[in-house]
This record gives sequence, structure tokens and C-alpha cells, in this order.
Amino acid sequence: MGTITIDPVTRLEGHATIDIFLDDAGSVQNAYLQVPELRGFESFCVGRPAEDMPNLTSRICGVCPEAHHMAATKALDALFGVDPPPTAKKLRELFYSIFFVTDHTTHFYALGGPDFVMGPDAPPAKRNILGVIEKVGMEVAGRVLNMRKVGHGLIQAIGGRRVHPNWGLPGGVSKGIDEKLRQEIELRGEEAIEFARFSLGLFDDIVLGNERYVELVKSEGYTHRTYDMGTVDAHDKVNFYDGQIRVVGPSGKQLCKYEPADYRDHIAEHVESWSYLKFPYLRAVGWRGFVDGAESGVYKATPLSRLNASAGMATPRAQVEYERLYETLGGRPVHSTLATHWARLVELLYAAERWVELARDPEITGKDWRKLPTATPREGVGSVEAPRGTLTHHYRTDERGILTHVNLIVGTTNNNAPINLSIKKAAQAVIEKGRPVTEPLLNMVEMAFRAYDPCFACATHSLPGRMPLVVNLRSPDGAILSTLSRQ
Amino acid sequence: MNEPANTLVLGLGNPILGDDAVGWRVVEVIARELAGLPNVAVCTCCRGGIELMEEMVGFDRVVIVDAIVSAAEPGTVRVLHPGELPTRHCNSAHDATLEAALALGRRVGARLPLDDDIVLVAVEASDVSTFSERCTPAVQAAIPVAAATIRRVLSRSTTRPDARAEMLT
Repeated sequence: MGTITIDPVTRLEGHATIDIFLDDAGSVQNAYLQVPELRGFESFCVGRPAEDMPNLTSRICGVCPEAHHMAATKALDALFGVDPPPTAKKLRELFYSIFFVTDHTTHFYALGGPDFVMGPDAPPAKRNILGVIEKVGMEVAGRVLNMRKVGHGLIQAIGGRRVHPNWGLPGGVSKGIDEKLRQEIELRGEEAIEFARFSLGLFDDIVLGNERYVELVKSEGYTHRTYDMGTVDAHDKVNFYDGQIRVVGPSGKQLCKYEPADYRDHIAEHVESWSYLKFPYLRAVGWRGFVDGAESGVYKATPLSRLNASAGMATPRAQVEYERLYETLGGRPVHSTLATHWARLVELLYAAERWVELARDPEITGKDWRKLPTATPREGVGSVEAPRGTLTHHYRTDERGILTHVNLIVGTTNNNAPINLSIKKAAQAVIEKGRPVTEPLLNMVEMAFRAYDPCFACATHSLPGRMPLVVNLRSPDGAILSTLSRQ
Repeated sequence: MNEPANTLVLGLGNPILGDDAVGWRVVEVIARELAGLPNVAVCTCCRGGIELMEEMVGFDRVVIVDAIVSAAEPGTVRVLHPGELPTRHCNSAHDATLEAALALGRRVGARLPLDDDIVLVAVEASDVSTFSERCTPAVQAAIPVAAATIRRVLSRSTTRPDARAEMLT
């Protein structure tokens, strides 16, 4: 019958097209998300000194430069065979926790939150941060902007620059912090904990207090029983900065746990002719197409996945919230895509608590923040949890440290297959034969992938900026029946 | 009679993404000559939305120079205001449009320039999809044109739409 195209996808990076293919009966047969490609990042890097990578990769896009900076810095540790001193590792994790608070705050209030706070039926003009503020009050706007300001200020104070840090070095960092700055960081961290608790309270009031939203979160249209991936510490608790990669199945049972450097033994990449972006999948399970279930190697790497793949949170208040999430939604694992927003807030609280823990660590003001590398570089893999999923950097160099090979698997790329699954399932749930395709219906489709906080800027090496979304409704032969777009 | 404006000249874009870096390149050219002016600050930025709004806080007037992708000839330089065609970066997908971000900032009492005092010097790009530290030739050639446009904008006491035609001449 036709294809729906959504253009632009409001509030997303780059620009994308969703094609919804209808069968002869007018029901949704398939739905695909396509994003444009940026070219030549690997060749841009090859031939440069590996030490440039923390600064270069953080320029791929403007959304999570701190995550790229950290993954690249850790890849340099591995490349040069140097283990940073404890103070350096703690400083990096402190810096990274502050970044997570800042990033998750922005996503909840500006990108993901409006769907719930304003409701999926609200007109696009209202489904933004201004609409949220209108509904929850000006005081909240001030708190959100202040949280960002505090986060960016501390990121600059620790990492040297406000957005693009120039601080990470193989074997450590370029500078430490003094007692005065430590006190400031601790004080601000306590404020961050309060802000995170306030945000969880807001989620309680607005989402959990609304039966309709809870039903929406739990509904089958937004549910995928896939594998989940996340980085865990020695006790299988969530960790953003370091640890092993743990993958659990749809029932919550562990499939594998591995060192990030071994990612190629566990992750393979499927290619489709219609997408520039590859589709990573679990090698041990195999590619079975865009389907969920234990037989399909499709996995998710999101805030909710991190919670599903872990045994809990390593900080006390976040652990309480972790338990409450699973009690409310029927036990671990939870496969409701829209619960990712809630998981993001649990992580926000964890990041704030970890921020304060590290600020209080006696070693954090230590002077031993760098170990000079002496080994000949060859190959190195570095991995962190980016806000949007597991981020892996892999470099090879010649004996002088000049790059010969660069491979990045970014957060959103991990989620490429599940994003397509989510779009298809949401489209099937809301688009029915004979029912007009309306703006609110399309928003319900958009909501499915907005939960992933997708950032195609580095997934395709694409542009920061607004992502226009086109939804094409297509007939079985590919002819466009109708197109919807937003500017 | 009036005090000179407290002005920010901001180069927007990704500095390693070919023509997308043109805002940075223009600012590099003009920064040296603006360095001596007491009321003009110069910076670069790669984020739109709230981040971009936050960069503008405290200024009476902001001149943003950025790449734009439309149907014009590569290298074409235009002067626009918020509310007109946005460039790639003014809107961030991860937070808000520039328009919404400005409204948000104003609502919480941030000191921000009026829309009429926010000027976009937009350079039509040819390739914003290939990583490179160099702009394409037509865009490279437009860098001095954009710099001259900024000089004219700065020389005006107003940047209201009816004055924009003059700025490009």
C-alpha cells in the first residue's frame, strides 16, 4: 500500500529517514532507519601520531567528546603498554562521572523527557524543553541549566577545556587537582546527588504516577527481548569507566564476560546494502535478521542494558533505585525500551554518587598522576561506557607510534539493529489499516528510537546539528504513498 | 552616545570536517585584528542548542559564522538572523533548537542578546561529509569575504534586517 517517511526526526543528531513498508493489506511489513554517512575518518587518522587520538576523536562530534577522549586515552594506555597510577585512574573516573551527570541531565530534560512530561500526543512545538519547563516550573529550568553549568565548569577545571578536554595521556593525565578544587568538586557533587534524586522524583510524579504512561512503558509495542551489554566491575556492578564487558540473554542469564580487548572474538558486524551503518551482533549466537529472542545475536547497549547486564549499582542510593525499577517493572531483566529513560535517571544518581565518592578518596589529590610509557607501541583497545552505549576504540601503529589502523565501535552503532527493531514494532503497534497516519502516531514511532538517545554523529561519523526526520510510507513495490516531515 | 556593544564573534562547526570548519577558519583570520578591540570577544564552538546559547550569555551582540548547506553556490556568503534558515549547528539534536534554547535562557533570566542582535554569517558549503582539515576551493575563497562581512557587521550600530543588504556589499 505505501511507505511512511518521517523528516525531520526532531531532537536528534544528523538527519535520517524512516521508511515504513506496508503490505498489500495495509499493515506494516518492515521499517528501516537510514542515516547519512560521513566519510574518511579512519583515513584522516592513519599516518598521524597515536597521541593525537584523544583530541581528534573527541572532534568527531559535539555530543559526547568526553567519552571519545576517555576511550582514546585508554586505548593509548594499551597501545603503549602502560598501566596508569591509581590517582590517574581515579581522576579519570571522577571526570567521567561528572560528564555522565551533565549528559544524562540534558537528555532527560531536553530530548527524552518531553515525550513523557508533555505526553506523546502533544504537538511537536510543545514537546521540547520549553514545554517541559512550562509544565514543571521555572525553578526546574534553573536547576537544569545550573547542573550543566556546574558540570561543564568542573570538566574544564579538571580536563583543561570546557567541551574538548586535552588532558588524557598514555599512562595517566596531564595534571591533577589540588585540595581547593577537590573541595569544590565534592560540594558540587553533593548538589548533583540532590539534583538526581529530584529528577527521579519528577519521573515518579509524572510517569509512574500516570497509569497510561506506565501501560505505555510496559506495552508490547515497545518491548524487545534481546541480549544486553554493559561494562561491569569485579562484583558485576555497573561501571562507566572500566571493567569487563558482560552480556546477558533475554532471560537475564550470562552469555559471556570478556576483556574489551577481545571484542572481536565476541562481536561481529552485519552489513545491509541500504544502510551505511553496520549492525553489530553477538558472534556466538549469530545473525538471524532483525528479530529478537535468544536465537538472535541482536543486542542492546543502553542505560537499561547496563542495568540488565549487571548485578546492581555500586553506590547505595542508586542501588535502591535499581531495585525499585525492577520491582515496579516485574523483575530483571526489563525489555521495555521506554524504561531506558528511567534507567538513565538511575545512572544519573549513580554517577553523582560516584562523583562524591571519588572526590572524597584520599588518593584523588595525589601527585602521581602519570606513568611515562617506555614500551614500543603496536596495538591497543580502549573501552568505556558512553552515555549511549559501550564505546570501543582500537588502534594499530608502526613502531614509531604512527597510526596504521583505526576502528571505532560507538554506542549508537551497537544499538543499530535494536533501533530498527523498535521502529518496526512501534510502527506495527500504532499504524493500522484504514487508520490515518497522524503526527501523534509518528511521534510514537519516533519515541521508540529516541529512548536510545541515538547519536548518529559518530555512528556514521556524521554531523552534529539537527537531524531532520523523514517518514516515507511505501507500498510493497517501494512506491512512496505519503511522506511526513518536520522542519 | 551609546556605549559600544559588548560583542562576541563565534566560529561554529567541526574543525576537522572539511567545509564544516569554515566558521573556525574565518575566526582564525579575523581573530588577530579583533584582538585589540576592547569590546569584542572571539571564540569557537562546535555545539548547537543550549551550548550555543550558553556561549552567548553576557553579550549584547553575537556574530556567528558557520557553514550552511542550501541550494546556493558553494562559497556564497549570507547574513541571516535566528528564525531564518538555521545552519547545521544552531540546532542541536541532543538538546534544543537555538530558538528554544534562547527562549529558555531568557526565561531563567540569563542576559542574552536580542534576536535582532544575533547575526549569522553563513557560508554555503560544498562538502560537509568528508573529514579533512581543508575547505574546498570555493569555500576557502569565501573566507576573506566572510571576514569582511563580519567587519561590516561590527561597524554597524544595528544589525536589524533592513541593514543587512549593506553588510554584504
